[in-house]
Amino acid sequence: MPSASDRTRGSGLTTALKIVGILALAAAVLSFPSFAANPFILSVGVVIMSYAVLATGWNFVGGFTGYMSLGHAAYSGLGGYATALLIIESGINPWLALVLGALLTAVIAVPVGIASLRVRGASFVIVSIAFVLILQLVFQSWGEFTGGSNGLRVPRPFGPDVLRPEQHERFFYLHAAVLAIALLTWWLIDRSRFGIGLKAIREDEDKAQALGIPTFNYKLVAFVVSAFFTAVGGGLYALWFGFLDPIFQFSILIGSYMVLMSLLGGIRSLFGPMLGALVVGYSVEFFKNEYGDTQFHLVATGLLLGLVVLFMPDGVLPALAALLRRFRPQESSIREVTQAELAEQRNSDPITQGAKR
Amino acid sequence: MASDYLLELDDIEAGYGRAALVLRGLTVKVPAGSVVCLVGPNGAGKSTVLKVASGMLAPRSGTIRVCGDDVTGFGPQQMLTAGLSHVLQGHSVFREMTVEENVLLGAYTIRDRAAIAERVGFVKELFPVVGDRWKALAGALSGGEQKQVEFARSLMVSPRVVLLDEPSMGLDPRATASVFEQVIRMRDAGTAVLLVEQNARRALETADLGCVLDLGRVHIDGPASELLKDPQLAELYLGGRPAAAPPAS
Repeated sequence: MPSASDRTRGSGLTTALKIVGILALAAAVLSFPSFAANPFILSVGVVIMSYAVLATGWNFVGGFTGYMSLGHAAYSGLGGYATALLIIESGINPWLALVLGALLTAVIAVPVGIASLRVRGASFVIVSIAFVLILQLVFQSWGEFTGGSNGLRVPRPFGPDVLRPEQHERFFYLHAAVLAIALLTWWLIDRSRFGIGLKAIREDEDKAQALGIPTFNYKLVAFVVSAFFTAVGGGLYALWFGFLDPIFQFSILIGSYMVLMSLLGGIRSLFGPMLGALVVGYSVEFFKNEYGDTQFHLVATGLLLGLVVLFMPDGVLPALAALLRRFRPQESSIREVTQAELAEQRNSDPITQGAKR
Repeated sequence: MASDYLLELDDIEAGYGRAALVLRGLTVKVPAGSVVCLVGPNGAGKSTVLKVASGMLAPRSGTIRVCGDDVTGFGPQQMLTAGLSHVLQGHSVFREMTVEENVLLGAYTIRDRAAIAERVGFVKELFPVVGDRWKALAGALSGGEQKQVEFARSLMVSPRVVLLDEPSMGLDPRATASVFEQVIRMRDAGTAVLLVEQNARRALETADLGCVLDLGRVHIDGPASELLKDPQLAELYLGGRPAAAPPAS
């Protein structure tokens, strides 16, 4: 007998609603450049899309395995520098450089993952921060190759005849395309055997291991995929922004933003990090605009993180879903039992029988 | 090489890190079609025995055999394939996954879909709750129901021996009674059980054989019914004599 509390997943109607929702979302995203009032608004749109790519990239490891990396700026930064340096040093096509740069970063992520995924919880967070700080120092000091603290100018992928607003528009769509690929990959993993294994690791790694899931290899694959998408995001940003500085590329702040966005949106939901990027990206740009060069935008962002952790620990999307469920008919797991059934139970129950003895 | 025992732990020494040994030359054997129960005070090494048997902890010395084959040094995955399935202490379902996902995770090492489907039918029949609540989130089930899901999950690999670590922990008396009933059903369905329990009297009433552990060794072993009758054991480990009148007050 299926009981009333069974929560079935994906009935026909909800699937249809989901498809409509996704199409509407895609339409809204793709039509944004034509609604943007001026190039500044459009550039904010690109920044938000960039954050969305980074946060979704982060979520491959954070969301699936529950390993909270605060140092993912390492991979966006490496992706950016690898793309730029490949173009400068070898003169290859910038888009090829973007892909090669991300692959290179993924290769670098393998030994880093092998070293850091051995520890869990707070220790993993600290190890992840250590790597980004090391990279910051290396890229600052290795001036002749990376441009050091003077920064590195990234060659523009489009010719000089492409003006700024059009450049913003093209990059907006490029980011949207990368985001779509990342989301699709996430969705495919989410439904796979591999994904179920990762989620088991997130809930309890020891249990997962006891069931024969190769936990370490799974974590490592998720970590490397995560580094790859984060690096693509970083490389695309480098091509758009045109300038890299180690202080900003390898900062804890960028990594923290990825975590904040994902937590805010909901790390267990496909669109969570993207939604978080919209909220956090918009707020950061708004606060920066409002309070200028002061550090106040950091305080405001910190407050936001505090509020999320306190009131919506699972993120906005799950919180909304829980709110919606309240308006549905009451679910109950309590079975109604008649007096007669109770009496019968009492007579056949070994415990009460034992007590009588 | 055939053997009368499904699982043999022979002269096992094991411990954690550089700390002192927990198991000091322990020998436990599980014959086919039986429930073997390990009882003993806290710190006797009961849970450690199961960890060694499931490959979560490598023994320092001694041998582990499954159906006569040496499996010493196997990791958790290999032990599972060899036929040893471990149900961990406490509530060990994945609370945020459905009963279905939990049970299918038990078959993670199996690739053959038809075999999995057949096994699902088997565990649903053995544990009716599992079938009834198939699509429910495991965390929404009661403690006793969650245990049945765990048992079902552990049987998905068609193990030779299921290792149960304190299955009655945190359950009310009725759910506890039901858990011991399920243990008997598992045995009758052809899976031997190595059981660790705090609830020693109850466990020995269920088991066929019992081993009393103390300080990492088997203190006494034998048919469970005889251990229950032993007045000295009752005094030391089972909390009072078997037929003792309540102390005069």
